[in-house]
Amino acid sequence: MKNDSTLAYLRRLNPVPHAASVDGAELFERITSLPQERPAPRRSTARRRVALVAVALAATAILATTAFAVANWFGDVVKPAVTKQEYKTAQSELTLPPGVTWPELNVDPNSVTSRGGGGSSAVMIAMGSWECYWADAIRSGDEQAQQRAHAELSSLFANHVVIAPAGASENWFPTGHAFPVVAFADDGGYQYKQQMYADAAAGRPKSLLQSCRANGP
Amino acid sequence: MSIHFDRQSAEASFREVFSHLGAVTAYARRRGSRDPDGIAAEAMTIAWRRLDDVPQDDPLPWLYGTARNLVLAEARRSAPSAPAASADGKHVDQPPVELDPTLERALRGLSQLDREALLLVAWEDLTPGQAAKALGVSPVAFRVRLLRARRRLQASLEEAQTALPSPDLNHPDVEGT
Repeated sequence: MKNDSTLAYLRRLNPVPHAASVDGAELFERITSLPQERPAPRRSTARRRVALVAVALAATAILATTAFAVANWFGDVVKPAVTKQEYKTAQSELTLPPGVTWPELNVDPNSVTSRGGGGSSAVMIAMGSWECYWADAIRSGDEQAQQRAHAELSSLFANHVVIAPAGASENWFPTGHAFPVVAFADDGGYQYKQQMYADAAAGRPKSLLQSCRANGP
Repeated sequence: MSIHFDRQSAEASFREVFSHLGAVTAYARRRGSRDPDGIAAEAMTIAWRRLDDVPQDDPLPWLYGTARNLVLAEARRSAPSAPAASADGKHVDQPPVELDPTLERALRGLSQLDREALLLVAWEDLTPGQAAKALGVSPVAFRVRLLRARRRLQASLEEAQTALPSPDLNHPDVEGT
């Protein structure tokens, strides 16, 4: 047998020889009603050079110091032990669905994290867990569990989620907000989640199921 | 890549991308997804959200690459006892497509990337250049991988031939690489 005949053999045994015929008009409408991500602004070549030099300098500095020193320079970053403690403390403020336990938070021992990051991780884990709990309840037809998941997510968003101001840096973090909290970028993601929950509650769970698949524990 | 300044032009661009919905659904089925419609819908949703990252001249490799990640994630998550559900929440539990047992054994013997390289060309009918984009490797690296994968599959099938009734492998190929 030659190499060429191997491909021909494979082609003959294609289990789905033709593309599916799909009427996707309704899906098209639904998808295009969702928000899009904004394209990242392009920098000029000169600005890119400046950025590269800055990155090189920063990398040199980081290599020459310990994570703790870096933490002190920037002030609002903390060592792994603090992040893990934040994560643990947040667990007493948040509720997970029945049968779900908090996973271990893995933090690189030689790293620093923005203050509050451990709490944000806990909020995101709770969010993903309740979305999947809701998805499971939809599949099993458990109305009560569906309502509970919706209520828990609404409470989570009301008390532990904020939107960063337009143009804020990636490291922006709210001050004076109740702990724990996660900050969503001002890119439509918050509204997307809200719409997703409203759709699921109205019997259109497609986005919720997809979100569980993509972000669930 | 292009930047979409308004919704109307974005929708017009996305319409072209969306025309591959059937192909992406078929791809997910061929790769054994239990919810190929859901995978295709999710790939399209990602394409819409990140439309500026989707190559407008040839979106199919990008879509296959995205769908591949989703199918792999689905496989990692799926528990044997958990029933699959369609996107609208109804049980579908669609069984994955059945493959010729000899071929299935031979494909299982390949690494994931070797297998994907072969199938993108043989089943998805991509050119090696397109398949390289779908896998995120250079065209040269892809050709090397494809050649190696073909040899390995060939050896595996020949080995199976000694033990099983001979599958008709001596068919002329219409596209070599």
